[in-house]
Amino acid sequence: MAPPTRAGDYPFAPVDRVNAELFTLTYGAIVRQLLTDFEEVEEVNKQLDTMGYNIGVRLIDDFLAKSNITRCSEFKDTAEVIAKVGFKMFLGVSATVSNWSADGSECSLILDDNPLADFVELPDTCQGLFYCNILCGVIRGALEMVSMRTEVKFVKDMLRGDDAFEIRLKLLEQVAEEYPYKDDE
Amino acid sequence: MAAIASTPRMRCLYIFNRDGVCLHYHVWLRPLTTLSPHQDQKLMFGLLFSLKSFTAKMDPVGGNKGNLGAPNLPGQGCSFHSFRTNTYKLSFMESPSGIKLILITDPRMGDLRDALKYIYSNIYVEYVVKNPLYTPGQPFKCELFNATLDQYVKTLQ
Amino acid sequence: MPGGGREVAESCVDSLNLELVATYCKRLHPNKPELAARRIEAIGYQVGLQLAERYTKERPRFADHLEAIKFICKDFWAEVFRKQVDNLKTNHRGVFVLQDNKFRWLTRISVDSAPPGEAAQMDVNAAANASRASQAAGQYLYFPCGLIRGALTNLGVACAVSAEVSTLPACSFVVRVKV
Repeated sequence: MAPPTRAGDYPFAPVDRVNAELFTLTYGAIVRQLLTDFEEVEEVNKQLDTMGYNIGVRLIDDFLAKSNITRCSEFKDTAEVIAKVGFKMFLGVSATVSNWSADGSECSLILDDNPLADFVELPDTCQGLFYCNILCGVIRGALEMVSMRTEVKFVKDMLRGDDAFEIRLKLLEQVAEEYPYKDDE
Repeated sequence: MAAIASTPRMRCLYIFNRDGVCLHYHVWLRPLTTLSPHQDQKLMFGLLFSLKSFTAKMDPVGGNKGNLGAPNLPGQGCSFHSFRTNTYKLSFMESPSGIKLILITDPRMGDLRDALKYIYSNIYVEYVVKNPLYTPGQPFKCELFNATLDQYVKTLQ
Repeated sequence: MPGGGREVAESCVDSLNLELVATYCKRLHPNKPELAARRIEAIGYQVGLQLAERYTKERPRFADHLEAIKFICKDFWAEVFRKQVDNLKTNHRGVFVLQDNKFRWLTRISVDSAPPGEAAQMDVNAAANASRASQAAGQYLYFPCGLIRGALTNLGVACAVSAEVSTLPACSFVVRVKV
């Protein structure tokens, strides 16, 4: 099936929705606990990214099942799908894709509304924390499952006073599917 | 035997991931088994892999022509969804995440694309991927998956 | 107010719960299960405190412990677990047992079935599977235990909360009020 022309047009199956409070508060409590467990803010960023990665690896099939998307072989389309369908389906907000690099291997996802950051104010002691870093991990994990190795990181953060959340997405490699067995096996 | 009477048209189901790991093998009726499970699964994966490569290569309209056997990106090129022999029918679906479902049935079964999609979306995703005890990439035999699948295929007569 | 009527996919909540357990029980403290349990419970406690605060903003204070527990069984449960507690028991001396016959967060837990044995062994296998599943389910209950303790604490009921799984997806939460 050829993809519809606009990413927002993908129909998707009904998704069970719940009030966001529990999710937002749980995430906040996890970040707080990690900040107590680790002295280095950088390590907390890393833990959040790892958690996200593990979530993304599973969530991709949930996403594909509900969105009816049958292929993600073009990076450009895939970025649109994440922004318009992925964010919308899971977090109820959509992102915009912009700032494409000339060679088409890098772009930004811009979010000006983000349920993870509701009720959050970062104290000065959290300098260097990317509070929503879990999102980078989720995107990286999900993309790896559709054969795209990527680097994903925050470059702007509203909790740090920027005007939006900006996630930079860089495609490193598209991994082809090879015959996994050796001939003599 | 009860199993045969209730699902006379289903033979077996294979689920592979993109690395060729057979995540699940489910038998309803298979009187003849000549290979070890490992050999059997490897052969099935190889068959799909080659068929996909050949069908894409022979595509008279599609633009994507790599060398035969050259690695393809998942979702690249056209894809076949079933073939039929005089003794069985093989139906196939692949998700963009490289999950491959192969359903072997009686040759008289009709189009099973919706059924495969249902098994992927409503049974595999719900009872395997969302099972906290499941480790992604590992073979599974989850009870809830098995029970739900058995229930569902009964509707496919 | 941001977040007021906002909704997210239930998968977000499920994913976070699953990964919370994986992080503390498998990655950070694989050899210290009790420490992992305490950490997860503490996270649940924080969330419970805040949720109860939000859910009861517009209500008068509860007259006694039983009123508060009933609120947890009905309103709080419905909001968080999308149904009500099926059965509430008490010994009238500060112990309450909240039984949920289909606890939302356990509905997808399933162990691999044991290799099929002889027909006579089927029941034994089924029983063994059920007990393995209940055991494995335990670590997914640290968070809800904390959640309930936090919520009750916010409502003025200092207590300890533990959980028991009988047959999945049923489970009971035992609340022991501190005097």
